[in-house]
Order: sequence, then structure tokens, then C-alpha cells
Amino acid sequence: MKTSDQEQVLEDLEQIKVSNKDLNRIFWRSFQMEFSWNYERQMNMAYTYAMIPLLKKLYKNKEDLSQALKRHLEFFNTTPHIVTMMLGLSAAMEKQNAESKDFDSSTINSVKASLMGPLAGLGDSFFWGTLRLIATGVGTSLALQGNILGPILFLLVFNVPHILIRFMLTRLGFKMGTGFLQRLQQSGTMESLTFGAAILGLMVIGGMSASMISIGVPLKIGSGEGAAPVQDILNNIMPGLLPLAAFGVIYWLLGKGFKATTILIGIALVGILGVWAGILG
Amino acid sequence: MVTALLLGLVAFIAQSEYALGTSLLSRPLVTGLLVGIVMGDITTGVIMGATLELAFIGSFSVGAAIPPDVVTGGVLGTAFAISSGAGPETALLLGLPIATFTLVLKNIYLGLFLPILAHKADKYADDGNTRGIEAMHLIGGFGLSLMLGMIVTISFYVGSDAIKGVLDSIPNFIQTGLQVATGILPALGFAMLARLLINKKVVPYFFLGFIIVAYLNVPVTGIAILGAIVAVIMVNVMQGKKVNLATNQGGVMSDDDDEDF
Repeated sequence: MKTSDQEQVLEDLEQIKVSNKDLNRIFWRSFQMEFSWNYERQMNMAYTYAMIPLLKKLYKNKEDLSQALKRHLEFFNTTPHIVTMMLGLSAAMEKQNAESKDFDSSTINSVKASLMGPLAGLGDSFFWGTLRLIATGVGTSLALQGNILGPILFLLVFNVPHILIRFMLTRLGFKMGTGFLQRLQQSGTMESLTFGAAILGLMVIGGMSASMISIGVPLKIGSGEGAAPVQDILNNIMPGLLPLAAFGVIYWLLGKGFKATTILIGIALVGILGVWAGILG
Repeated sequence: MVTALLLGLVAFIAQSEYALGTSLLSRPLVTGLLVGIVMGDITTGVIMGATLELAFIGSFSVGAAIPPDVVTGGVLGTAFAISSGAGPETALLLGLPIATFTLVLKNIYLGLFLPILAHKADKYADDGNTRGIEAMHLIGGFGLSLMLGMIVTISFYVGSDAIKGVLDSIPNFIQTGLQVATGILPALGFAMLARLLINKKVVPYFFLGFIIVAYLNVPVTGIAILGAIVAVIMVNVMQGKKVNLATNQGGVMSDDDDEDF
């Protein structure tokens, strides 16, 4: 799609204008993406922080604003340097949501959930695996000789490309979002998108649950040489059985209406007591 | 005392890289230079920073894994090495235990304190209070910078022996217990997210993703690519069914190539 055409279409439809200034604000606020990172929902507060100025502009009604804020306070995690891609996309979808009543707002989070994994895969390997290593190589070789240019070049090699990419992705994400969504609404495939996005999102959540939740049991059955570690037995039944059980229990507790804070403290106690009793480790 | 405070400031600035685009200010290569300036020996600071940088090269966060803390490890390791007039090995020797000790405190902060702030933010969201959410985010971030700054100031002031003593005095099962808890905590985030997406039609895909990773150890990127392919296939199947119903002809597949992704 030609950019100029797209912008023309946008301007015709536009009720609330999302200006470059709004996108720049998102770009600047995105710098704090890891500032309030936490174990439970990771970048959730920072993502909301970046979206707040736009959300305030889009939703004049308190109830709608509250819904939008809660939407973005859900779990989110990706490579911080490319997060503006997602923010731009979210901005476009929020705009659409604010303008049309029949927009399914749950797609905003489905899209986030389904794209954060692939983006992180791409971003982590490029920024952490490639660019950082180049910068470190250049920087340390000079610094080991006591040259002050080492640390300075290190920062420049990494951050000049980083900031340029971060800036461009804000615009790109927004443009893709609006074009993409208009096409979808015209062709009536929004339902398919939600369905597809939920599939992708859940597969990624399932995969992350298997790889990122870690629980180990140090117990052994029997004694001496022939002792069988319980963990091995569990792994034989099914690898990741305990992480899956933990996920299941917490999922169930949430459904029972338990507050996340209560569950959080419960997890800390389970960890400490489990180690004390020698069950976990 | 002034030196201790200035070193705390260096740690504060370094940790604030997370407010500045994750721009690598926290890396020992950078903090080594800053510590060198504070201690009045720039050349040694830069060299020690580079040594520590290489030692900590694998120490960066990907996904939910938090590595030993390079801020306190880098700043204090370099500072103690310069102040004792010893070589870069000393920086390493002192830096690593400090980084590990800080990780314990950081895990408590990131695993317990910040989620509590996040839950307060949820409450503010109910009222549409954007200021409240912004405050929680900023307090959370600056709080950690401040905490690391204080750790550095106090540790440099009292010396590294005392640090080791404190570490030893915390019962081991509490330290390990919190470590275990941080391994379980992501389950809470995932479960909350899953609650958002799950409906009857898509439940199996969670298990599909889980099983593939559990048995085959596929990295998350791989599962995402696979997920995208499965999603495209299932969407096509769904549309195919619709076409069948609409035209009342068996075996007619949808042939429009909707590029959903």
C-alpha cells in the first residue's frame, strides 16, 4: 500500500487525530520500558506508561479509559529496543477501538500477546547477540589499553543504531496497524484474526510456561548408589510436569477469585517452606 | 564518605539505564570509567572495567532471567580494586560475590515489591487515574536505582568483609527459598494472560505449545514461528468450513489468500 494513499484514507476516516507528536511521545516514553520490570507481569506498567498520553486523548469517558488502562496492565515482555513497533501497533488499534463501537477490544491484547514472542526472538538475537557483542569487542579492545575512547565507542556503536531503529519502528508500527486493520475490517476477517492471534498467543504462552517456569525437586527415593531422584521420575512421566501443575493451580486460583497479590505472597511462602522442608530446591 | 556517596551516585546513574532506553550504561565497561573518574585514576578504572566487562559478558537479561547484578558488582569491584591498589583479578574476586548478593535483594524487589506496586496500579486503572499509574511506574524504577546506589555507598563505606558477613547471616533456606519462588512467579503472569485469551475453541493450543517446548526444548522464537503457521492453517480450515456451509458443497476449500500475518 502506498503511504500517501494510506494517509489520505486515514485522514478521511479520522475523527481523532493521532499526530506525529503523539507518536513521538510514545517513542520517548518507550525509553523507560524496563524501568519498572517485575517478575510477575514484566513490562506491564512501563507499557501502560508509554500509552497513557494517547489513551487520555482517545478516551474522554472515564469508563473507557479505565478499560484501556487495564488492558495494557496485563503481562508484556519483549526486547526493549524494538518495543515501539508494538506500541505503534497498539496505538493504531486503540484509535480504531475509540472510533468504532463494533471493534473487538480483546484483539488489542491478542495481537500484543502473539507478537511479543516473535519480536523478542528477533530483537534479542540482534541487539543482545549481535550488536552488543560488536560494541563490546570494539570497546574492550581499546579499554584494555586504558583508552578512554573504549567506553565511549561502546555506547555509540550500540546506541546510534538502537535509537534510530526505535524511532522508525514507532511510525512503522502505527502505519502497519492502521492499514492492516482497515483491510481486515473491510474483508470481515477480524474474527479470523482474533482466532489466529489467540492460537499463536496461547502456543507462545504454553511454550514460555514450559521454558520459563522453573521448579525442581531435590528429593531422592532410596539411598546410596541406587537412589532414584524424584525429578527424574517426574521427567519420565512428562518433562515440565511441575511447571504445568504450578500454572494449573494458579490459573485455577485466579478463576476462584483469589487476588494476584495473595497468590504472589503464597508463592514466596511455598518457596521458602519448600526449601526448608527439603522438597524444593 | 564523599567517595562512597559519589560511587553510590554512579550506581544510581548506571541502573537508570533502564529509564534511558536500556542503553548499556550499567555495563562494567562504562561504570569502570565513571568509577575511575570518582577515584581519580581513570586509566585503571577503564582497564578494570574492560576486564569485568569480559567476565560479565554473559550476564545480561533475556526474557525473564535476571543475571547477577552488574551495577554493584562492576562499581564496587572496580572501586575496591583501585582503593586497595590491587590488580584486575581483585576486581573480579570482589565483584562477583557482591553481584550475587545484590541479586538476592534485587529478586525480592522485582519479585515482591514491584508486583505490589503493579497491583496498586491496577487499582488506579479502575478509577481511570493515569497519574497514579505513572507514579507507581516511576517509584518502582527510581526505587531500584536508589536501592543499588545505597548498597554501593554503604558497602564501600563498611568494606567488603562486612558484606560477606551479612550474606552469611541470612539463613540459607530463605535465600534459596526466594530463588525458588522467583522461578515459579512467571506462572502467575502467564496464567493471568492465559485467562485473557482462553476460550473453549483455543484451549488445546496452550498445551500444544507447552508440550512441544517441554519435550523438544524448542526456543520461544521457534514456537512463535510454529504458532504462526498453525494459526494460518486453522484460520484457513475455519474459513473453509464456512464456505462449505454457505455453498452447500462438500470439499470446496476457501481459495482466497488472506494474508493475516
